Amino acid sequence: MTESASLECTALLANISAYLDGELDRVACAAIEQHCAVCPRCAAVVEGLRHTIGLCRDVGTAPLPEPVRARARESVRRLLDADKRAPSD
Amino acid sequence: MTTSQGTRPSTEETTRTAYAALVREAASGDHDAMERLLVRAQEVAYRFSLLVCGHPEDAEDVMQDALLKTYQYVNRITEPEAFRTWLYTTVRNACLMRRRRRVGEPSRLISVEQGIPSSEGANTPVDVPDDAPLADQQMIDGAFDVRVRQALQTLPPSSRAIVVMREMEGLSTRDVATVLGISEANVKTRLHRARELLRRRLERV
Repeated sequence: MTESASLECTALLANISAYLDGELDRVACAAIEQHCAVCPRCAAVVEGLRHTIGLCRDVGTAPLPEPVRARARESVRRLLDADKRAPSD
Repeated sequence: MTTSQGTRPSTEETTRTAYAALVREAASGDHDAMERLLVRAQEVAYRFSLLVCGHPEDAEDVMQDALLKTYQYVNRITEPEAFRTWLYTTVRNACLMRRRRRVGEPSRLISVEQGIPSSEGANTPVDVPDDAPLADQQMIDGAFDVRVRQALQTLPPSSRAIVVMREMEGLSTRDVATVLGISEANVKTRLHRARELLRRRLERV
């Protein structure tokens, strides 16, 4: 890898989160995509980060275990029932 | 003009609006809305506590705390749009309290924020013991990707909280900054580092 290519890689990687978060303008995005087209190493980093973010989001959208959800619903019912029974001022 | 690669700004706004609407309905006396809001608050508490602190037993306590505090808060709320950041701030504080109370917690000896210097340059966070009974552990492992949870535990807790709120819970950068009391630039910098660390950890698996 040449020195200029290395500098280009460094600059790209510094902006990669902004790129993945859709915070860069079209020109900046195009520059990253063009670089990745000729730099397999940076392309792999971008894909790896995209995959990592996807895995994290999958965890975030996974439903809680049913016993935990059942306990949550039961706690809510107990609280609301107790509040109904409490004498009002 | 920005392009959309992986962000969900419209989803973040929709979720914030949906929370605010639910809070308004609950505060106006809608019993079903109150029930849904309280269940949701507990789910947020459980997920945050489990993923950030790593102790399933604490997660149950943090759920209870979120339930009671949300119920009290909703009845005197003045700014429903701020509910979501209030909830995460409350849950995070409850997690911090649990961590301080925990007997034998390594943070008594070593700052968990600092961790232990490693050969990779970044500090290696203190390992959090897993104290869940086997059945609970199997249940948790079945629900949440073990590789991701293990990789998360290698991050410093503050970065872990950012990843959980930003990537898993879908909070905006601004909301995460509000919850943690840091700048948006700081959130972005830490998130970038955390993503890169997670990528490396997950590629090794």
